[in-house]
Amino acid sequence: MMRSAIAIFKRDFKKFLSNPFIIMMTLFMPIMYLVIFGNAFGGTLSHIPVGVVQEVPPYNDTPLFTDAVYQLNHISQTDADKLLDVTVYSDEAAAKQDLANGKLSAVIVFPSSVSNDNAVRLYVDSSDSITPPLVEAAVNQVLLGIGAHNPVTVDKIYGDIKYLQFFGVGVIMMAIFTATMFGGGIALIKDRENGIHEGYLVTPIKRSSIIMGIISSGTVRAFIAGFTIFWIDLLVTGIILQSFQDFLLVLLVILIACVGVTSLVVSFASRFASQQEYSSVIAFLNLILFMTSGAFYPVIGMPGWLRWITVINPEYYGIHALRSIILRNQGLNVIGIDLIALLVFSTAMIVLGIVTFRRTLE
Amino acid sequence: MHLFSHEKLPATDDEKNETSTYRSDYIPDSSIPPFSRDGSAPDGTAIIRINHLSKVFAGKTKTVTAVNDVSFDVNRGEIFGLLGANGAGKSTLIRILTTLLSPTSGQAFVDNYDITKDPEKIREIIGVCAQNYTSDSELTAYDNLEFYGKLENVPDNILPDRIWELLKMAGLADRAYMPVGTFSGGMKRKLEIVRAFIHRPLILFLDEPTIGLDPEARREVWQQIMMLNAEHTTIILTTHYMDEAEKLCGRIAFVERGKLIALDTMENLRKLIPAGDLIEIGVDHMDPHAEEAIRNVTLVNAVSVVEHTVTISATNGSRVIPAILAVFEQYAIPIISISIRSPSLEDIFIYLTGKGLNNGDEQETPGKGGRRPL
Repeated sequence: MMRSAIAIFKRDFKKFLSNPFIIMMTLFMPIMYLVIFGNAFGGTLSHIPVGVVQEVPPYNDTPLFTDAVYQLNHISQTDADKLLDVTVYSDEAAAKQDLANGKLSAVIVFPSSVSNDNAVRLYVDSSDSITPPLVEAAVNQVLLGIGAHNPVTVDKIYGDIKYLQFFGVGVIMMAIFTATMFGGGIALIKDRENGIHEGYLVTPIKRSSIIMGIISSGTVRAFIAGFTIFWIDLLVTGIILQSFQDFLLVLLVILIACVGVTSLVVSFASRFASQQEYSSVIAFLNLILFMTSGAFYPVIGMPGWLRWITVINPEYYGIHALRSIILRNQGLNVIGIDLIALLVFSTAMIVLGIVTFRRTLE
Repeated sequence: MHLFSHEKLPATDDEKNETSTYRSDYIPDSSIPPFSRDGSAPDGTAIIRINHLSKVFAGKTKTVTAVNDVSFDVNRGEIFGLLGANGAGKSTLIRILTTLLSPTSGQAFVDNYDITKDPEKIREIIGVCAQNYTSDSELTAYDNLEFYGKLENVPDNILPDRIWELLKMAGLADRAYMPVGTFSGGMKRKLEIVRAFIHRPLILFLDEPTIGLDPEARREVWQQIMMLNAEHTTIILTTHYMDEAEKLCGRIAFVERGKLIALDTMENLRKLIPAGDLIEIGVDHMDPHAEEAIRNVTLVNAVSVVEHTVTISATNGSRVIPAILAVFEQYAIPIISISIRSPSLEDIFIYLTGKGLNNGDEQETPGKGGRRPL
């Protein structure tokens, strides 16, 4: 019995040693967990964009306003950059518009008189449950610091949104990615591993047809997953969509996000020849993209270098667009940029997949 | 046509004019346009030209020259055989010609298209049956054929009929909707072969088409190949079965270690070895003196002893036998079997390369408990 057990051991170990790529990935994964996980969630929020505005009249700034703005703009944090990026607005409506469009996380409206019974009004983007308390605490701290005793009223513009609801939207994207892990391009790798690609490589089929075909199939599979999880998400978190138009927009975003993520995964599949190597790379991609997508935690909590990944991360745009529609009832004017980013990304990945696909056995 | 099935064709069809019967059934009529056929007749002009083709695989530790400076032509409309032992370079050559591998040096043209410059054009006119199974085992036989029919641009309006025609040919009509993974090796093989000509290609490459088939199925595949050839399909097949090459191929190329060592018709190849018949005598043991004595018999050209077989090449086999038998009697060597035949392709191959195709099939006597000694 020992002899055969040793034989099995030797066989397995030989295979392990003969594949340095897998050895590297085995070690790489936990290191990435350490770096990405640690930085993506433990991070301190900084540079939160807030708008400040003073009620009119009077048309000249009160000392309270001037002091408060200066103080708010200079809240330093021990292990991170300053907390708030303050923009001064002269028009309350313009400030609120930018809040509604997602350009600001909060708007602080100061009363025209310093009198203590005039409240400071704070409007916060409550679709993100982590930022508002920070802004509120900052405002209270500044008012206390300059000796003003005005009460602060907080208006959560999207109502009370729980963390579960915030996170639930991210899970839709995770469903899409999980579907692509099993569906996106794995068929190509299996064909290559079993040698059955030799059969169709001698037919007149074009590389672009192979890649487009596999992306289409992967997209449909991912869409089914994303759409199902979307419904489950609504049921579990109790979110109610505001209109049928929102529903259609959600479908559009899920579809385009599916194209983006699938084409990314397939562009990798076009080159790999072993399922094991491919899976380890895709698992790694899944980790880094999901962690930096903002699904768990606002991206402004991430260090600068990690935020750069979000710029090329299709999941970031997908989650941003889905939150805009589902939690904030925003329209194409806000999510348009996300859709454009996703489409540009998809196109680049499709081209990459086609160019790198090997049309021969070499 | 039930070419793989065990049904017998009507005798009249078989006997009267097999070719014309086949073609009237097979050549598409006006309602079915030919998809990849230029209609040219076998005219002896080259459809494949290979000039000093080489393929070197550079590994980390070892470089292997799989194809070594090979040049030859394949004529339009012929059945061309590439013969060689395992690893001789036949499949590599086929893969280069079917655009799956690029040559390290040299040139090759398939129907005047350069394999390195116009691979797309070549893929449109060829059909390939690879040596390993390339059907998707998760799909059914029908789905596999449909998949390839679409890739090969078979028009949608005739594809279903074409698929059923091929399934019947392969004797798989009753298994059309079963996953290929449940098929036996022979059934898979038949499916692969019919799939290769779903689009009626101009040139058909068959890499070891009958490997793993039972004798009955092999004959059916041969019949199929001959019928396809009768409708002007040029066929290039690789094999290590001598009988297959002898039966099918107009011209035969011997390949050994990547090199072309002989290329000619069967008739001309026969002339390469000393004229005469081969007498094979089975014995228990052989006496070197007896071997010498046989060599001295008039009309005997050569004698060789391999294991328990004495092979004698003689100018006129039947006339020389009594003299040979007398030698065996003289040395008291009991004869187990005796046969006389014309030299086969295998003999030519052995003559040219100094070894057989299936060396390694030597019999060993079982030890105790049916276990062979280690």
